[in-house]
Amino acid sequence: MYPWYDYQRRLSPLKLAVFIALFVPGLWTAAAFAIGALEPRPLTAAIHHIGLWTIRFIIIALAITPLKAILSWPRLILVRRMVGVAACAYVLIHFSLYVTDEAFNLATVAHEILVRIYLTIGFTALVGLCVLAATSTDGMVRRLGRRWQQLHRLVYPIALLALIHYFMQSKLDVWEPTIFFGIYGWLMGYRLLAARFAVRGWLPLYWVAALGPVAAALTALGEAAYFHLAFHAPLLRVVAADFSLQTGVRPAVVVLALGLAVALAGAVRAVTMPAPKGRTRFARLPASQPPA
Amino acid sequence: MLIRKRRGWEIPESAATSEAVFRDRRRLIQALAAGPVLASGLLGGGMRAMAADEADPSARLYPFKRNPKYTLDRPITDAKYVEYYNNFYEFGTDKDIADAAQALPIRPWTIKIDGMVEKPFTIGIDDLMKKMPLEERLYRHRCVEAWSFAVPWSGFPMAALMALAKPLSAAKYVKMETFMDPKVAPGQNQFFYPWPYVEGLTIAEANNELTFLVTGMYGKPEPKQDGAPLRLAVPWKYGFKSIKSIVRFEFTDKRPVSYWEALQSDEYGFWANVNPAVPHPRWSQASEREIGTDKRVPTLIYNGYGEYVAQLYAGMKGDQLFR
Ligand code: HEM
Repeated sequence: MYPWYDYQRRLSPLKLAVFIALFVPGLWTAAAFAIGALEPRPLTAAIHHIGLWTIRFIIIALAITPLKAILSWPRLILVRRMVGVAACAYVLIHFSLYVTDEAFNLATVAHEILVRIYLTIGFTALVGLCVLAATSTDGMVRRLGRRWQQLHRLVYPIALLALIHYFMQSKLDVWEPTIFFGIYGWLMGYRLLAARFAVRGWLPLYWVAALGPVAAALTALGEAAYFHLAFHAPLLRVVAADFSLQTGVRPAVVVLALGLAVALAGAVRAVTMPAPKGRTRFARLPASQPPA
Repeated sequence: MLIRKRRGWEIPESAATSEAVFRDRRRLIQALAAGPVLASGLLGGGMRAMAADEADPSARLYPFKRNPKYTLDRPITDAKYVEYYNNFYEFGTDKDIADAAQALPIRPWTIKIDGMVEKPFTIGIDDLMKKMPLEERLYRHRCVEAWSFAVPWSGFPMAALMALAKPLSAAKYVKMETFMDPKVAPGQNQFFYPWPYVEGLTIAEANNELTFLVTGMYGKPEPKQDGAPLRLAVPWKYGFKSIKSIVRFEFTDKRPVSYWEALQSDEYGFWANVNPAVPHPRWSQASEREIGTDKRVPTLIYNGYGEYVAQLYAGMKGDQLFR
């Protein structure tokens, strides 16, 4: 079955659009490589671009379950597998580029993976993503049944390993990885809250609204602790910087803005499209649908 | 020995992408780097002050006569790379800081020489250049990130500055400092880093014949992004030792803590001598990418300058000499 069909074998514009979009960063990187825009270190630049999109796809894949509930947009689930598989494809390209950069010397590659801890961690995440991608065909979903869901919960630690790899390879500027850690915190926090407080898969919006500030506060504290431990920066001054623009837009502020934007979007959606009476908030999906 | 008809940096137009095209391509790719979540607008508005274009009175001094003693084993790197591929964290953490660096005013530029010297003084860069023996040298430049340039630097031996400074015999180190001005260098607003940039050498290292103070490159005054108007070149050490835009030389008997050492002492130390056998904790230093040719070439001990400098470290042992 082609990836742009939904479960009724109808063309899904959503799936088609996402399918195409997933190719764009890779093709863009390839084109940039071809015209020399990645000079003077094209392989290194390509490793970085593809790595960035790998982690972005992982985070986007993790965001689909919360967003489909908050936005009452059940069809969003249709693209989750695609995004996850794309993350796996991108990390394989990321890794192949690394192997190319090491002049295909597999002994060196193996040695480096063993001795550079950030590569060991990245490689573990890569293996994990491959396992998940290999078990995401319809056939495997059916065959594994309940164990499929258990297995695919591995995506949470895999994402964490990927984030640690990203953070560790950063030289000095940890702005973007810090933001991703904050978003990851939000996504995991959502799952904890949903497991406890969700009603028919729907977490009340006030929980969603509260989650943003909490994730932002954790980001701020985590960042301050990191700068304090790593660079002996005064804790309070780092936290204080979150309240000014003097050092640019701090990661905690970005996390807060994203958290609030999601809550706001959920509220707008709830107001403009109240759930019809006598029906659950979600359209029921056909039985062949993989467990969410 | 190379026999040259044309100066090495005069690379024929056809041999290389023109600078303008090269820069446009670099810009294009920034759009890709900025993700959907992290639209570049969030970055607090790109600070892109353009050249203040104050006249550089030293321009008419160039080119300097090449000192034939210092030759290369590889082609000179195309100037466009050296001009647009820079680590200068004062202006941003990526390599593309050339535009932002144009905000730096480089005249007047006063250099302070103080600490353990016979008589502390300050001197303007143009007066200093008048007193110094100006020449051009071809050096390799090995970045700690495992890439390298080959650059025609213009400047003068640091030993000449040492003679002018007259350090006391009790002085053991010279500590160098980059300008500090967060208004022109936005990176310096990031107070959690130990600004200003500091580097240090022992007196013997500073007096070594290789140690070169740079005022220009490729037969022209130094571009701002490369550390105008005065930077260091110590080619046997990793690039971060070659401090840019220097405003102060302070002589001291205490070993200075350099910028990167203060940040990550297990990764970047005081000595930072190039050694292929001692890896950076996160990557191997065994080989390097030659910028321009994009060849991966083996890295040499002391970046190939052992005959000049190895004796500086006779009797000293340990990996910390090499990171
Ligand atoms: C799920 C797994 C992985 C993810 C999500 C990932 C992601 C990333 C990201 C986001 C970056 C930084 C990009 C930037 O800041 O510009 C990066 C850098 C890098 N990654 Fe990965 N990566 C993964 C696995 C691997 C593996 C298996 C290897 C090789 C064995 C690898 C090798 C590298 C290298 C060499 C760099 C550049 C480091 C440097 O320039 O200092 N990664 N990766």
